[in-house]
Order: sequence, then structure tokens, then C-alpha cells
Amino acid sequence: MIEVKGLNQTFMLGKKHNQTKLQVLKDVSFTVEKGDIMAITGRSGSGKSTLLNLIGGFMKPSGGQIFINNQNVSEFNEGEFSDFRLQHIGFIFQNFQLITSMTAYENVELPLVLKGVPETQRNELVINTLAKVGLADYQNHYPSELSGGQQQRVSIARALIIEPPIILADEPTGSLDSETEQDVLAFIQQLNRDYGITFLIITHDEEVAQIGNKQIHLHDGKIVKEELAR
Amino acid sequence: MTWKDKWRFVRKNMKKSKSRIFMTVLATAMGVTFLIVLASVGFGLHDSIIKEQLQDRAVTQMEIAGLETEGAFQLITDKQIEELENIEGMRAVTRRVELQQTPSFQIEDYEGSGSTVVAHFPSEIEAGLELSEGKLPENDHQVIVGHHFAQNLHQANVEPDELYNENGEIKDEYQYSESIVGKEIEMMITQMVDGEEQQHSISLTVSGVAEAPARDWMIDTTVFISEAVLAEVEEFTGTPRGARNDPDYPLPEEETLGYHQVIGYADSLEEVETISDMLKEKNYYVYSVADELSQINVIFTIAKAGLIFIGTIAIIIASIGIYNTMTMAVTERTQDIGIMKAIGAHPKKIKQIFLIESSYIGVLGAIIGTAVAYAISILVNAGIPLIISGAMGEELPEGFQFSAIPWSLVAISTAICLIVTILSGLKPARRATQVDVLKAMRREI
Ligand SMILES: Nc1ncnc2c1ncn2[C@@H]1O[C@H](COP(=O)(O)OP(=O)(O)OP(=O)(O)O)[C@@H](O)[C@H]1O
Ligand SMILES: [Mg+2]
Repeated sequence: MIEVKGLNQTFMLGKKHNQTKLQVLKDVSFTVEKGDIMAITGRSGSGKSTLLNLIGGFMKPSGGQIFINNQNVSEFNEGEFSDFRLQHIGFIFQNFQLITSMTAYENVELPLVLKGVPETQRNELVINTLAKVGLADYQNHYPSELSGGQQQRVSIARALIIEPPIILADEPTGSLDSETEQDVLAFIQQLNRDYGITFLIITHDEEVAQIGNKQIHLHDGKIVKEELAR
Repeated sequence: MTWKDKWRFVRKNMKKSKSRIFMTVLATAMGVTFLIVLASVGFGLHDSIIKEQLQDRAVTQMEIAGLETEGAFQLITDKQIEELENIEGMRAVTRRVELQQTPSFQIEDYEGSGSTVVAHFPSEIEAGLELSEGKLPENDHQVIVGHHFAQNLHQANVEPDELYNENGEIKDEYQYSESIVGKEIEMMITQMVDGEEQQHSISLTVSGVAEAPARDWMIDTTVFISEAVLAEVEEFTGTPRGARNDPDYPLPEEETLGYHQVIGYADSLEEVETISDMLKEKNYYVYSVADELSQINVIFTIAKAGLIFIGTIAIIIASIGIYNTMTMAVTERTQDIGIMKAIGAHPKKIKQIFLIESSYIGVLGAIIGTAVAYAISILVNAGIPLIISGAMGEELPEGFQFSAIPWSLVAISTAICLIVTILSGLKPARRATQVDVLKAMRREI
């Protein structure tokens, strides 16, 4: 499903004439199968977010290739990647990234709007998806009127609504208390079980990493440990 | 993304910054109003002047004053008339010979004078001569008189001081007030013989009165006589065309005799141009309204283009406002744009949304600006004549309009407004597509 081959990422730091190179990812290669939940762990600054941002297409790798569904996405231009994301990848972010001027309903509806799904078909889908994350009664709340856990569930609903085969999550429980964290994790497992969605989850929390059936550990941009959990 | 959804986005975004959008639309509308009102003066004056030009003359008419042969000017004679009449598209060629003296005409105890011409009636009829009364002459001693001929007759024995009112018109009580058709009039011609003035009278019958000239201030007191009457006059005076033996004005030589007034009538305005060009090539002296109109048109086209150019500057100034508004809108929405891109919004869609927004401002500005311009134009047209008659005591000619807004002007200004607003929205819209997803999403943390 996802195949990462010899991925390198280097950032240029400092002012123009006095630049230093910072290699954040060094020859990273791994494979994620359909239906996996892969946990990516590592210390802060080890390059986890960078890896996920490359897979999500938010930046271009300095070297190496990424295949998703057998397509070499590292060669996509920005527009092609946008369309690809809209079809294949859902995102869950640590700080939710909801549009503050839109209600929960409108935020969840947004991917369908971008896809061009007619208004008449959208309504049912949005209501069903909000119900799935247990927020049927909160459609007309703005993000500022929701708790952290509720906001994260809205963002999960937004990722789910396009029924993507892959969901990328960067610290999905990072802003939540431990009880809500448990709810969200259980929900992720349920989605994986019921719909076969492949998850790639970044976390520095071992407990969170436990829900994965695979785990890679990054240290200074290198995979130092790769294991099949449980 | 459907157009309906894009439109919904635009409307929602605009609602969020209502007052800013309002001010921008206002500035754009003012620019459009300025352009239209400014240029409308050019259009209005052009229309009015063309109308003035066309009012007193038939548009299809061309004066053919003469012909240049071997460097010398020559009046038109029957030889050229034949050539002129055979030109394709020429409806009629009227020709008149003027009597070289102004006879006085008497009826009962009234008298008056009028220029006397010999005209060729078949061509005059074809050219559109119409009678308001009576019919065409049936014999040589019947005449047609101009519409105002009768009004110009007055009682013979009244002192000049008493005869005219303060406007220089003949007082009503001394005017000839009956219908002149069918009446017999005496034409008195004179000639100097051995230093003494001799008089000769010819009896004529008025068979018809011509229709009034197109403009109400024009006075037509002409008397149309026949060739036979002219011959009788010439017999008495012993000179061609009844000229008086005036030592100051030597008689013309026989060869140069020709028609004093030759007017060609074309089938249409377009033909006037081709015919008059052709005649000019053949060394005719031709003058037509079309000549004057094309000069006027050139001048006004340049003037209008200049006014539109100045007006465009106003819209360009307004476009700076649009640029600012759109740049602010993009900056404010950077985070939303980042999130939308992260989810999978194609940069093209984002660009479109912003372009729709700036175009919408342009469209609103154009509509409001045009509406206001129409209102101002109506006020100007109503107000200017009042101001002119109030301040200077002069009346503008009827139907004179200072400002006119034809559809072409509305189309031009709308096009300029849209082009300028879309151009000024392009850069902010491109900036929106270049928003970096990661930077935009990191902002809030
Ligand atoms: N756009 C960038 N430009 C320059 N350096 C960057 C950029 N993004 C990340 N880095 C650097 O790359 C390194 C890895 O960052 P990354 O965000 O991938 O870490 P992480 O593993 O996600 O850490 P955390 O657990 O704190 O989120 C860091 O040293 C960071 O400073
Ligand atoms: Mg991170």
C-alpha cells in the first residue's frame, strides 16, 4: 500500500551566504501493507513529522521515492498531489486543523465540496459520518464551541468522509487527556477493523504505539528499530 | 468543486468583511461612473452636432459647385448634367439658374420681392420637392413660389418705419393674408437704358406653394419661373439672365454660363461618399454633408478615446483598492487556505475562488457605477439647459443633449472595469495558491 524507498530529506538552514545543511531523514525505507496500523515513534526532532509530511505530499523529498497504491507520488506536482489526497488520503492532525469560521457540519462537508459531490448527496453522508464519531447533536457548533476531544472527532469525521484507504495521523492524541485519548484510539482501531483503513500514526507515547501491528523507531533520521508488535 | 459551491465560498468570505468590500466596490463604482460620465459628454455632443448638421439638409445631398477644366473653374452645363444623371446611385440632379436681378412682385396693392430662379421641375420633384398647396405649373406663365413668399408681401404705400415691428418683421396688419394660389402677380424687372431706368412687367399666375423648409427659422421666398419667362426677361434687358447694366459688375462671357446651383441627390448616405469621391477625382467641386460628417466623426472619435483613457485612469486607481482588499483577504485566510490545500483543494480552485471574488467586486462596481452614471447623465441633460438659459439667457437648440450613454459606452466601460479588476486580482489570487501548507498549519500552535 505504501512503499518508502531510500528517502532522504535535507533542510538548508540559516541565512543565504552562511547556510548549513541539516539532514533530517537518512535513507529511510519501509513498507506498509493494506490494513496495517503502523506506529512511528522516536524522540522529538527525530524526523517523524517530516516523514509523514513527505508521504502526505506537503513537501518534496530531497531524495528517494514514495509509492502509494503503486503510484510514484514523489513525482507528482502540487496539483496532482492535491487531487490524489482528495481521493486516497485522510489526515488527522495533533491540533485538529479545523476551519474556525465553519461549523462542525461544514468542516466535515468540506472534502465533499472540494470533490464536487452534489449538495443533495452530501447531506446524508455528513450526518451519517458525524453520527459515527458520536457528534450527531453538534453539527452546528463551531470549533470554538467544542471540547478538544470533540474537535478531534470532527477532524476524524472529516478524514473519514471521503472513505480513504489511508489515514495519516500526526500525534492524533497529543492534545487530549488520557481518557479522551483512549476513546480516540479505540475508534481508530474500530475503523481499521470495520473498514480495513490503513493507518500511519506518529506518536512518542509507547501506549499509543501499542495499538499498531507494526512499529518503526526513528533516531536522528534513521530507522533504528522495526518490529511487528503483538 | 461545483461553481455553486465556489460561489457560496465567495459570498461567505465577502460577508465576513462587508465594510471593506463595500468601500472597494464604492471606489470601483466611482471610477466607472467617472469614466462613463466623462465620455458621455463626448458622445452627447457628437450626437447633438451630427443632429444639427443633418437637420437643415438632406443627408443624401451633394452640392456640385462646378468643374475644373484645364486649371479654370467652370459652372456646370447641360453636358455635365447628362453625365451626372447617368451616375449609378444618383437619384436626381436638380439645377437652378438665378435671375441676375431681384424683381419686385405685385399683387393688388401688395408688393414684395424674392430671388427668382429657373428650375427643372422633373428633377426637383424626384429630389423631393413637395407642394403644400396648389399644383405644378401647366404652362410657361405659371409659377411656384416659396413657402414664405406670401407672408413677405406687404401693403405698398406704408412707410418703412411703420411697416416693421421691433423684431424687424412685417406687422400682421400690413401682411398679405389670403391664399396666393391661383392669383395673378406682376413681376417688375428693370434695366438701365442710356442712364435711365426702364421697367417691364410680366404677368404670372401662382400655381402652387412649396412645402416649408426643414428648419423653422429658414425663410423661403423664392419664385420659380419657366425658361420662357426667362427668355422674355432677357429680351427686355438685352443681357443674359436679366443682368442689369451695372458698371461695377461686368457681364459674364457667354462660355462660362452654366447653372448656379446644381445639387445631386444620391440614393443613400453611403452612395454619397462613393459618388462624391468619384466626382472629386473627375475634378468636380463637390461638397456634401458626408464630407463634414467624416471630419466631425474623426475629431469626436479622437476626443472620445481621450476621455475614455482619462476615465480608465480612475478605474486603475480604484483597482489599487481591489488589490489591497484581495491581498488582505488572502493574508487573513492563509490558515484556511492551508487546511483546504492539506485536505486536497487543487491550487486552481483556490485561485478561482479569489478571482471570482475580485471579478464580483468589478461586476458590482460596473453595475452600480453605470446606474449612477445614467442618473447623473439625466440630471446633466436636464440641468445644463436651465443653467445656460438662466445664466446667459440663451436657449439651446431643441433636442440638444450634453451627455449621452449609448450601449457601446456601457460595454466599453464594463469591459475596461472587468479587465482591470481581474488583472488586479490576479496577483493576490496567485499568492493564495502559493500558500505553504505546513507553514499555514503551524501558525496556530
Ligand atoms: N521546514 C523546515 N526547515 C528546516 N528544518 C526543519 C523543517 N522542518 C523540520 N525541520 C527540522 O527537522 C528536524 C525534525 O523535525 P520533525 O518535525 O520531523 O521532528 P519530530 O520527530 O516530528 O519531532 P516532534 O516529536 O517534536 O514533533 C528538526 O530538527 C527540525 O528542526
Ligand atoms: Mg512532529
